[in-house]
Amino acid sequence: MVDLSPAAPTRRFAVTLPRLPVTVSLALLWVIAMIVIALFADAIAPHGFTALDLKHRLVAPGEPTHLLGTDELGRDVLSRLVASIRISLAIAFGATLISALIGTTLGFLAAHFRGLVEQVVLMLADFQASMPFLIMALSVLAFFGNSLPLLIGLMGLYGWERYARIARGLAISAGSQGYAGAVRQLGASPGRVYGRHILPNIASTLIVSMTLVFPEVILMESGLSFLGLGVQPPMTSLGNMVGYGREYLTRAPWILLSPSVTIVLTTLAVSILGDWVRDSLDPTLR
Amino acid sequence: MTEPLVRVDDVARTYHSRRGLFGRAVEVAAVDGVSFTLGRGETLGIVGESGSGKSTTGRLVLGLEPSDRGTVAFDGAALPKGGTPDWRRLRARMQMIFQDPLGALDRRLPIGEQIREPLDIHDIGDTASRVARVADLLDRVGLTRNHGRRYPHELSGGQRQRAVLARALATTPDFLVCDEPISALDVSIQAQVVNLLVDLQAEFGLAMLFVSHDLRVVRQVSRRVAVMYLGRIVEEGSADDLFASPVHPYTRALVSAAPTPGRRLTDRIVLQGDPPDPADRPSGCAFHPRCPVAEARCRIETPRLVDVGGGRRAACLPVSGDATSTREAA
Amino acid sequence: MLRFFSLRVFRALLTVTLVVTFAFVVLRMSADPALIILGPEAPPEVIAAFRKSWGLDEPIWVQYVDYVAAIFRGELGRSMRDGRPAIELVAERIPATLALTLPALALKIAIGIPAGIWASLHRGTFVDRTVMAAAVAGFTVPSFVLGLVLVLIFSVQLGWLPSGGQDTWIHAILPIVTMGVGGAAVLARFTRSAMLEVLGQPYMRTASAKGLPWARAIRDHALPNAAIPTVTIVGFMVGTLIAGAVVVESVFSWPGVGRLLVVAVSNRDLAVVQCILLLVAATMVLSNLMVDFLYGFLDPRLAAGARAGGH
Repeated sequence: MVDLSPAAPTRRFAVTLPRLPVTVSLALLWVIAMIVIALFADAIAPHGFTALDLKHRLVAPGEPTHLLGTDELGRDVLSRLVASIRISLAIAFGATLISALIGTTLGFLAAHFRGLVEQVVLMLADFQASMPFLIMALSVLAFFGNSLPLLIGLMGLYGWERYARIARGLAISAGSQGYAGAVRQLGASPGRVYGRHILPNIASTLIVSMTLVFPEVILMESGLSFLGLGVQPPMTSLGNMVGYGREYLTRAPWILLSPSVTIVLTTLAVSILGDWVRDSLDPTLR
Repeated sequence: MTEPLVRVDDVARTYHSRRGLFGRAVEVAAVDGVSFTLGRGETLGIVGESGSGKSTTGRLVLGLEPSDRGTVAFDGAALPKGGTPDWRRLRARMQMIFQDPLGALDRRLPIGEQIREPLDIHDIGDTASRVARVADLLDRVGLTRNHGRRYPHELSGGQRQRAVLARALATTPDFLVCDEPISALDVSIQAQVVNLLVDLQAEFGLAMLFVSHDLRVVRQVSRRVAVMYLGRIVEEGSADDLFASPVHPYTRALVSAAPTPGRRLTDRIVLQGDPPDPADRPSGCAFHPRCPVAEARCRIETPRLVDVGGGRRAACLPVSGDATSTREAA
Repeated sequence: MLRFFSLRVFRALLTVTLVVTFAFVVLRMSADPALIILGPEAPPEVIAAFRKSWGLDEPIWVQYVDYVAAIFRGELGRSMRDGRPAIELVAERIPATLALTLPALALKIAIGIPAGIWASLHRGTFVDRTVMAAAVAGFTVPSFVLGLVLVLIFSVQLGWLPSGGQDTWIHAILPIVTMGVGGAAVLARFTRSAMLEVLGQPYMRTASAKGLPWARAIRDHALPNAAIPTVTIVGFMVGTLIAGAVVVESVFSWPGVGRLLVVAVSNRDLAVVQCILLLVAATMVLSNLMVDFLYGFLDPRLAAGARAGGH
């Protein structure tokens, strides 16, 4: 007689711990690494990111003091990379939050008031979706000049229409038949209906959308900064480093290679995570 | 008190919809001139097929939808406009039970918290008394405190409807609208929920509007019954009389189709023609294309709901005679 | 149908109005429009005449109407840098941009759509995974990185192709490839999911159950239906023909509209920026309108569904 019972608990244990696909684990590790770097940038960076070292200009990577080399002014590429990661992530994070906030609020307003308000919100959403964002952003920057808060605010307009459409659709369906209609019927104020009931119910869907918008914001910001119209010196961002490094493409390609790789890997990692979260949490979004 | 708790006078609701690719706007009269009264502690059942406007009537009475004409008065005062602070305050006194209990519950909150929510909304009692009230309500609807800590998906369909009932009763309302409260439940537990409803109605002295397509359930729950066809009440009377001797041909067909112990199904009246379509309402008496006793004038004259004796009202020309009709053109 | 189209035209006009209003508002908010349109070196009497003719002392809505009227007359101001009409400056850059964006669009369609269809028909196989991996890479690698990497390989290391400039058609190869590859990836991903959607539909199963050869079922039923969402994204690409090359033109120093825009933005040459903005909006709106009309013919049901105001 073979006793199979000891196998059962281990199997059950294996089921409760979700097995991450290899790509997802790698993506998660990368994102965590980026967040740690962004949070502890000052402690991690070996040099100040603006510190000049004119004796060691355009040093190739591999030097013990300058692991990723130096740029045309002798500034340490690794330190600049760390500072850039912090700025780029901060902008992308802030912008994603702002756009989720704007979009969800407008979506709720559209769902609550319907009629004219809804038409205006939908019209603005159509407008936002149909105009190339880069051109709109460039026009605003041309008119108002450039500053970090303006840049974050501007990037915060990116993708709001997606949250607005999701929030509006889900709030309407929850209100007409479902739990939100029932709570309204109990006499709840709109604030209670939207804040305590609808928002927690649609939060997972909104978070999935945020992970999908986030990499696009990173790309958009790095594109603007690459053009020299985003983050301004002495501050630095990933796109900024690529933009300035391109002058030294032939003599010192390492200046732009490390930020380029960072941009690609970060957007890739967040996209993979976003897709994975979407597929495992919310099969209806597929 | 002579004034009834709920007085509904000639309410109507028309939806605008469009059919087909090049279709023009079609007016769909979901409810077209419904009147009734309901005293404290009274039960009125509304029966009808889908599309008869029975659910819309329930929503109009609660002010969940605005009515296009007519008035609804609750406890002697006109119902405030939906969504206003006055209307919200009135929710403590009038409540609703929905067809789909899972849809009516927030799946992210434990049952107990949802039962407590009306008390929080209307600011009734302090924290301790609210907790005690939730425990009492759970007990009254036949759930345990343990159920209160669970989430909707962890309960069975019957238990969810009990939870919805407990939530509706939390503020001790005077008036309850039940919209097909058992049709989404398993047949095996329908009877339990109906019995619970009947018990609680008596215990709380609730006035109740019970909307259903199921004649037997309506008969069990309600003392009075109104039969609706295409947005209008065609017959109204006490449940016992109406089911024993239906007057209106439509009611007769409905009653004959419902299986009753001791009666052979061969007596069954089978309705001719298409099921009713609210968007394509026949002229005159809306029932005339399917009516076995229809006369020529039924096509042009719209019957009014009139007293036919014995506390019964019916809207049928062959039954009530000439004097009670109005010309369609009028 | 007529209602559907007139609704779309109405929406298009609304979009144009929004852009024009946007430009008007930021113009008024940022600085003196007389100086912006005429440039700071304009003689005082010209500025005075301009103010009078544009009615800058009028109420704001009168100014707005005048502004719109001026746009319709093609008066879009002069560049602050060389004093030439902005519209002339922009117009002479358009051919250079189209020389990049048109071949790039052809490349996107030629690679992206077949790759997407191919991947969808071999779902889950090595082919599918390769195409999808390439598509994800195409999305995550920004065009400036891709462009610079191509320069590094083909210009710096191999010395086959020039890294910038506009002298011969050989100069256009790298920028076209840079744009084409990224767009093809997006298009492939889109086409694949559109095809998978259609292939999962009951009518496809019915078609094969009827005994219709699979290849014919694909040709007659799957492809036309999958074309509908794909047309949208291609339409968006058509809309960006004029200003979609901002980054790539900068990477390769290609003297097109995109480079003009970047230079104008850094110089705050508002007349030029405004002119490009309006031009882009007009192109975008026109291509969206074309897509909508195409939609109406491809799928009458959509026209029917849109009446309800949904998406």
